[in-house]
Amino acid sequence: MADLGSFALRLALLIALTGTVTGIYGGLKRRGDWSEVARRSVLLLFGLLTLGMGALFWAFYTNDYQLLYVANHSARSMPTAYRLAALWGGQAGSLLLWCWMVGAYGAAAVTVNRRQTTLLPWVSATLSANAFFFLVLLNLDLVNELPALVANLGLALPDGFGIDVHTHPFERIPAGTIVSDGTGLNPLLQHPVMMIHPVMLYTGMTGFAVPFAFGLAAMASGELGTAWMRITRRWTLWAWFFLSIGILLGGRWAYEVLGWGGYWAWDPVENSSLMPWLAGTAYLHSVMVQEKRDMLKIWNLVLIGLTYSLCLFGTMLTRSGLVRSVHAFAQTEIFGQLFLGYVLVTVIVYFTVLYVRRGELKATTHIESVMSREAGFIINNWLFMALLGVVITGTLWPKLTDWILGVEQTMGPGFFNLLGAPIGMTLLLLTGVGPLIAWRRASPANLRRQFLWPTATGIVAFVVLAFVTRDHLAWMAVATWAIGAFVTATISQEYFRAIRARMRRGEGIGAAFATLMRKNQRRYGGYVVHLGMVFLFIGFAGAAFNEERLENVAVGEAVEMAPYRLEYRTALAIPEQHYGGAEARIALFDNDRPVATMRPERRMYWLEEQPVSVPSVYSTMTEDLYVVLTAIEADGSATLKIYRNPLVNWIWAGGWTFVLGTILVMWPHPEGRRQEP
Amino acid sequence: MAKGIQIAVGAIAIAFLLGWYASDNLGEDSFVYYQTLNEFRANGDAGDNARVHGYVATGSIERDVQSQRVRFVVQQEPPHTGGTPDGGLSVIYASLETPDLFKDGAEVVVEGRLTARNGAFEATNVLAKCPSKFEAAEAAGEVPPGAAR
Repeated sequence: MADLGSFALRLALLIALTGTVTGIYGGLKRRGDWSEVARRSVLLLFGLLTLGMGALFWAFYTNDYQLLYVANHSARSMPTAYRLAALWGGQAGSLLLWCWMVGAYGAAAVTVNRRQTTLLPWVSATLSANAFFFLVLLNLDLVNELPALVANLGLALPDGFGIDVHTHPFERIPAGTIVSDGTGLNPLLQHPVMMIHPVMLYTGMTGFAVPFAFGLAAMASGELGTAWMRITRRWTLWAWFFLSIGILLGGRWAYEVLGWGGYWAWDPVENSSLMPWLAGTAYLHSVMVQEKRDMLKIWNLVLIGLTYSLCLFGTMLTRSGLVRSVHAFAQTEIFGQLFLGYVLVTVIVYFTVLYVRRGELKATTHIESVMSREAGFIINNWLFMALLGVVITGTLWPKLTDWILGVEQTMGPGFFNLLGAPIGMTLLLLTGVGPLIAWRRASPANLRRQFLWPTATGIVAFVVLAFVTRDHLAWMAVATWAIGAFVTATISQEYFRAIRARMRRGEGIGAAFATLMRKNQRRYGGYVVHLGMVFLFIGFAGAAFNEERLENVAVGEAVEMAPYRLEYRTALAIPEQHYGGAEARIALFDNDRPVATMRPERRMYWLEEQPVSVPSVYSTMTEDLYVVLTAIEADGSATLKIYRNPLVNWIWAGGWTFVLGTILVMWPHPEGRRQEP
Repeated sequence: MAKGIQIAVGAIAIAFLLGWYASDNLGEDSFVYYQTLNEFRANGDAGDNARVHGYVATGSIERDVQSQRVRFVVQQEPPHTGGTPDGGLSVIYASLETPDLFKDGAEVVVEGRLTARNGAFEATNVLAKCPSKFEAAEAAGEVPPGAAR
């Protein structure tokens, strides 16, 4: 099986090249037969990559430790589910997963749109070229076969030719060695969320390859209308949906596994998933301006190009070890250089084509008033770009200072929070304002009608919340909540008015809701997404009230943290096969009423020689009590780190609301007619 | 390209505004220099914020539960490649909350400042990385430790 998988990846390299070349030729010469070759290459490519994935899964399933990659990322004592998920636990497998997804999206896109004959050859070429690059990385070890090949021709390469790379997932360990067990997967990755988080993130990031390919195809073929945008609307939403879930799950995993009491640390790898999300979100908003008003044509192409480039750039940043991160895989220089080259080529090709076509992308209208929906969208875009600029600057700061000053200077979370918070809050405010302003020009009557009640709600919320939290007043947090109240009021008002109007025509409340969703899906689904954002921000603002304590307690002693009392009862040994360690049992009382037994663990993964602290969390909608067992000391006492994190559950609730909203927006309606944004 | 210029001017204005706001509000504590131990020895001054990279000297970790402190020594080269604690930096971390990977020989980054008083480094944060043996072997594609059992 492994040989078959290896062969499939070698062959896929050729097929991807074929798809790229025939696609470009078919597109340039407008030759249907060549385009069809390109289209089928994409399908074949997907087949070969699927074979490769299947073979690697099989190797993990059957404990084939003769494969270096399997031996380094799996072990017999790991549960089967983790053994399979170990496929994306390292460099080579992650590359394969990424490449396979590009192949899958490619196959789906060229099948669904097979009648789009002008765009299709270019789409096939773009997607093949992207897969081709990853296949070059996956087959990089072939370079080491060159000396033997050249020797057959009677020539010789300089001594020491060859590179030290291990990105081919089917690479075998040296002949004559027998390995009966692997070294296991990084214990921090042995968590249910980790089985799906990378997949979600990759589904999102690779998904942007489709709108990117169609955008490039539109420019290359000269079909510069809104066709490419209309075709890829759902694809883009889909990619954005999974990227968002991936980011949320990453936060959840950090919170539940890393044991530092938080969900977001502005680590380069987190930032690298946030960057394309910011650009992609800006794009989702600005396409509506082009559809409605025929403006921002160049800008939308810039944004989708930027989004996909940032997906690649972020992956390169963290995977090549360019920026120090807890997540970066150890890697060789050649890998980073190749990846950087790929990102640069992608950016240069895309933006050169855009520059050549700029003259044909003139807007037919322009902004008439600052008090208009399109102006709102443009402010939204500027804010997203500013936030993106902040994140990029902060992430690359160590590299920038290294180049300019010769010393690495790291930007702490303080930088991101300082600049991110006001921009984020303004964006949140806009989610309430933007959708309620009329297109072209809003009249004073329109503004009064839309904003009277929501503004009043926001002001009342601000005063009440400031009064309630007067002992530890945090203006930013209170302002965020007040903005949340304002936005919630605008959304409720929209739903209330629309449903009331339908009910007056005799529809029931359920039917009225269903009609709204069907007739104006993007608008009313979008409100639900915005509501999710409100919840998220309510949770973020809770961090202003975080508390943390470090306590050393002997058995039988208690920690008081009003209204809670934590009694340390005992510590038990963990009877697992794959790891050992201790679990502390802590009785938790809320106002003297027993509410939970907390069980923070301190594990030692034998095979991986790595200790891991597993926190225990008591969670309510008001706050989380988060306990980490830092150590069982020599005298038998336990050192506990206790965090009190208000409103964290609102973040996960916001995530679910967001998921629901996006599904409402994406839900296919059979009779779906033209929709009002 | 008047529009392009408008956008560029707008972007620069925003960047300038944000930069000004950031530099005005961020204290010196927000910027931390990242240095290896030798670099830090060469140009670090007492009182400066620093992030120093090194390895925990074997057998140097002392946990003092009563006063809630951990003391240890950071050396330039990892012990398992023959590094010695000579010229090491003694670190006092006023917390018992050490990271999971913190142990003898672990690759660490200590954040804090050198105190003029006793030459010890007072750490406010200690970050640890995977033991490099494991990662290095993997990166080099060597047969994993424990193979051929």
